[in-house]
Amino acid sequence: MKKRWKTALTLGGVAMALAGGLVFAQMRSGAYGSTNTASIGQVAAPEFAPDAKYDVGPYPSFTPELAEGEGKLEVQSFCATCHSTRYISMQPPLPAATWEAEVNKMVKTYGAPIPEATAKKITAYLQAHYAPENRKE
Amino acid sequence: MERMTHNVSRRSALKFLGAAGGGLALAGWAHAGWAWAQEPNGGKPLETFTGPGANPHWNSVGPYVTEPQKAPLILLTDRPVQLETPRHYFRTVFTPNEAFYVRWHLGEIPNGVDLAEWKLSVEGNVNKPVAFSLSDLMQKFKPASVAAVNQCSGNSRSRLQPRVPGGQWGNGAMGNAMWTGVRLRELLDAAGVKSGSVQVQFEGLDTGAGPKGMGSNRFLKSLDLTNAALDETIVAYLMNGEPPPMLNGFPVRLVVPGYFSTYWTKCLSWIRVLETPDDNFWVKTAYRIPDTPRGTTTPEDMKAGKVKTIPIGRMPVRSFLISPDGSSKIPAGLGVTLRGIAFSGYGKVVKVEVSDDGGSSWRAAELGKDHGAYSFRGWQAAWTPKTPGRYSIAVRATDEKGNVQPDEPVWNAGGYLWNKIEKQELVAGKAN
Repeated sequence: MKKRWKTALTLGGVAMALAGGLVFAQMRSGAYGSTNTASIGQVAAPEFAPDAKYDVGPYPSFTPELAEGEGKLEVQSFCATCHSTRYISMQPPLPAATWEAEVNKMVKTYGAPIPEATAKKITAYLQAHYAPENRKE
Repeated sequence: MERMTHNVSRRSALKFLGAAGGGLALAGWAHAGWAWAQEPNGGKPLETFTGPGANPHWNSVGPYVTEPQKAPLILLTDRPVQLETPRHYFRTVFTPNEAFYVRWHLGEIPNGVDLAEWKLSVEGNVNKPVAFSLSDLMQKFKPASVAAVNQCSGNSRSRLQPRVPGGQWGNGAMGNAMWTGVRLRELLDAAGVKSGSVQVQFEGLDTGAGPKGMGSNRFLKSLDLTNAALDETIVAYLMNGEPPPMLNGFPVRLVVPGYFSTYWTKCLSWIRVLETPDDNFWVKTAYRIPDTPRGTTTPEDMKAGKVKTIPIGRMPVRSFLISPDGSSKIPAGLGVTLRGIAFSGYGKVVKVEVSDDGGSSWRAAELGKDHGAYSFRGWQAAWTPKTPGRYSIAVRATDEKGNVQPDEPVWNAGGYLWNKIEKQELVAGKAN
């Protein structure tokens, strides 16, 4: 039994090291990923004066990259007047008719001052990049 | 790019290991070793969006971010701010302030408030308009407290099929806190509501860049003066015994126990008594539900214009399994504790049942301490997976009015009122 273990270890040693982790019958260990996708920096505690002003400072921006394409500039300048474009990328892929209704709602119900031709361009952009058929990121 | 390279080299290394495996098999122990060579399917970043199918995760899929006075929470949007509470914070029945979800409607939300200037006004159709400083509220009125769940009308919106636009919340747009402040009725009495008044309107410090008179400029909510919920409503300056974070409505926010959060105005600064029903956008057009059982309808009926709507109100009964959350495998035969929370806007939760076969058979869970009708109620149940396999754990609650959580979905255009029975797959492995 002892000899068999020794043989196994010699044979396995190289392979296991290359595999990035050690493997024994009862466990697997030593595997680490190479990326750090989940890291978030810490934030320093604020300094306060004992006056009547209670201020928490600016709220950070986390603005996503929008898909490249005709109409992106219009989306960034008009839609972002009221809200960050994360309102777009946060949505599930939506059918063309839903995007059209959303843009109409922004103009008619919320009063967004978007010229008609620009609104059409914005709608076409959203339909071309954020619909079930074409949504990538 | 580096990550790709790494994965490739790792894969070739595994291939080599595969080749070596044949030889190792002779050594008698490689079989077990080879089984490990498959990396468990974990540690990968979550997808950045879900759909057009339902979001399969408990929470929404956004990244964690840190906002002022907050622990890292799940980002929905950054301007205005919408943040979701991660599942594990519901292990306690009171949700920590720093983890409490955040939802604003308009872009210009307060960063700071000067309490030397700030006042809460009670005005409109009253005998004597009054304005209170925070110290007035703290000193002139007897404090009242209530434990109450604050849940976004669109909590779990990402479950709807077909998906609807809006904040794509998982289940974490909710929280429970002990709220302390002044009873709304006492403030109304201090100003003296004139006869002929019908509603009371609430407005906070947030504004939007949209044109005056539009919903994109001001956020206003109103309730009927005869609504019994107003008798339990509090203007809260304490949240779990601390001032609320700015993002949750410092210096005071409205607390309407049992009602969806849309009425819980943050940074509340104006209370207006109205002679005529409020017809502003946020009452007349937004936050409305079909006047049907459970507020459910179909896209077809909506399109056909068949659906009469009413303002959203109380929260239907819900319950959640919080742990185990499926992130670990459980050895068969090992007894674990299923734990979670339940609540209803219609009254106290009186029963929580669990199932380990997806809802075919049920047994009662043990209820935790009663913190009042509008609080989260903790529950737990011992559970032992007897044999290895996949178990579908389901949980359903019943409230004192006899409302039982159904296993049918809800659909409406706003994505409101979701309260279908929650299910969680747990995997039991072999123990030897």
